Amino acid sequence: MLLVDPIKTLSQFALPFLITLVGLGSQDTSWSLIALPAMVAGAVGIGVLPWLTTRYRITDTQLQVRRGLVQKTTLTAPLDRIRSVDLEASLLRRVLSLTKVEIGTGVDDSRISLDALSVEQGDELRRYLLARRDAGPGSLRDGHSATSSVQVETVAARPPQPADGPSELATIDWAWLRFAPFSLSRLVIVAGAAGVLAQFGENLPFLNSESVGDAWEWVLDQAIALVLGVVAVAALVGWVLISVGGYVIQWWNLRLTREAGNLRLTAGLFTTRSTSVEEKRVRGVQLVEPALLRLVGGAELRALATGVGSGGVTKLLPPSPLEVNRRVGHDVLEASGPLEAALTQHGAAARRRCHARAQWSTAVAAVFATAATIGLDLPWWVPLSVAAVVCAVAVAAGEAAYRQLGHALLPGHLVTASGILLLTRTALERDGIIGWVIRQSLFQRRAGLATLVATTAAGAERVVIRDLDYGRAVALADAATPDVLTPFIA
Amino acid sequence: MTETPTEPAQPGGQLREPANRVSPRAVSYWRLTAFLGALVEWAVLGVGYAFLPGRPWWVTALLVALVLPSVVHLAVMPTLRYRVHRWEVTPTAVHTRAGWLTIEQRIAPLSRVQTVDSQQGALMRLFRLASLTVTTASAAGPITIACLDADVAHGLVAELTAITSSTTGDAT
Repeated sequence: MLLVDPIKTLSQFALPFLITLVGLGSQDTSWSLIALPAMVAGAVGIGVLPWLTTRYRITDTQLQVRRGLVQKTTLTAPLDRIRSVDLEASLLRRVLSLTKVEIGTGVDDSRISLDALSVEQGDELRRYLLARRDAGPGSLRDGHSATSSVQVETVAARPPQPADGPSELATIDWAWLRFAPFSLSRLVIVAGAAGVLAQFGENLPFLNSESVGDAWEWVLDQAIALVLGVVAVAALVGWVLISVGGYVIQWWNLRLTREAGNLRLTAGLFTTRSTSVEEKRVRGVQLVEPALLRLVGGAELRALATGVGSGGVTKLLPPSPLEVNRRVGHDVLEASGPLEAALTQHGAAARRRCHARAQWSTAVAAVFATAATIGLDLPWWVPLSVAAVVCAVAVAAGEAAYRQLGHALLPGHLVTASGILLLTRTALERDGIIGWVIRQSLFQRRAGLATLVATTAAGAERVVIRDLDYGRAVALADAATPDVLTPFIA
Repeated sequence: MTETPTEPAQPGGQLREPANRVSPRAVSYWRLTAFLGALVEWAVLGVGYAFLPGRPWWVTALLVALVLPSVVHLAVMPTLRYRVHRWEVTPTAVHTRAGWLTIEQRIAPLSRVQTVDSQQGALMRLFRLASLTVTTASAAGPITIACLDADVAHGLVAELTAITSSTTGDAT
């Protein structure tokens, strides 16, 4: 911490510092000789301050974190409300063998973070907090958010050891790398980088319109097909390198384990992350199959839990074979079936709704194409062919939406699937359902359909089953949570 | 343990109507708020129309097309909504039905309820109305009973608070 924070502060203030230094230096060189040490000292001071003023301690029932010099704040969290303990170590922290601890208490957005504990200290704290959550009161202990031998001793004072050692659910298999190029999630980053490059590109000296024009003429002189082919191959190779590289960096040394009632995921090449969630808080899993990944038999697995990560959804597996996803998913749920059970389809009326919904795009496209035709004086067949093409695509999309729509009620779980390109199957523990919403739009009422929403505290906080026969929706909700609906059924 | 699907036996379930209607004064309240909203819209449209030079026929048509839906809304929505809105609280659950074009039925077991609030705006006070909201640990699950008689709402808040405070656990 004594090193991490000043470096962080220095890097944050680097630009203003540089500007000031250059500004001063241009007037009188001797100024910068005085200014530089002053600035470094200032950064060190600002960086050291949190270390001097942050203290945490664990009492019988609470975790307390006190920080601040002038304005003091004390955060307290009851130990039995701690739901997740995450460790994160960036490259700089790893070199200094430090780690950052983030503690989730189930209250959205307010995670308690303790930066720069030693690795052993962080690990000890993680194990202690997660074990203490269920155990009885223990001895009082104090800690300083830093590395010093004295505190390591106090914190290392024997946390209750879990009886069962960690059991492994999954580890990285480098054969999975073949799925990396088929996962488009990293495309966003590439697009962002391209955007930045385009911004800077305008200011690059050799990229003026003249030289671009020259280059373009040169391109036209060459065989155009050849040039396009080379560009395509280069883009493909670049994409494969980026996606595989990103996959390796993110998922290096992946281990998903179960220990003392917690699921723990560790991974990362440069920045290592460790996420621990109490298993009781995991209310379900989500199997996601994007179209491209499905083509090659891959899928991704996520856990739905309360009080973790962004939106309560944590990635459990990278793009990997569907079979592995199912096995690990069933291991996590401690049930077999939810991720492979045959689903009940929603029937002819639901199919009509799916198609009708998809055809809205045809109507919109037809209106715009007609307006463009009138405005730009295009031939009559333009709007017709645009509408025909969009209509054909919409028919395919509607049919896919219907085929992939389904639900099943298993003894322990409510299972739903939906999606057109992004096929998602969600298995929610029946015990995790905390309410029901049955919604009927005007169109749905005419078709006798309803959208059934199971509300839950985990994940996205809702599981939606669309276009279900109304009677079946009521019966399904009643069967999934016995006694809740019974008094209201006619 | 392999789980096999258990389909509900008879697919013909039907939720009965919740027992109670909201306050009849809600109709006037909804009509007044809809009217105030429409008034703003009409004022903007009217000013725009008055200052438009020439006033070709299609602008008049557009004006009618924009004003007509709000008139229909004003005439139909309050009574329709009053017919749909219903609520019921049993010792174990809350059940509401709301909406007018899209109709929503919500049910939450009281053992999972986290907070019980009542709201009363200035206009609602004029009509002696109050709304009641019951939230659970899910952002998707708040249940609102809109426009109850204020006295009924306050009694209900006390009743629900008593029931929910007697349940243990963190209701997730």
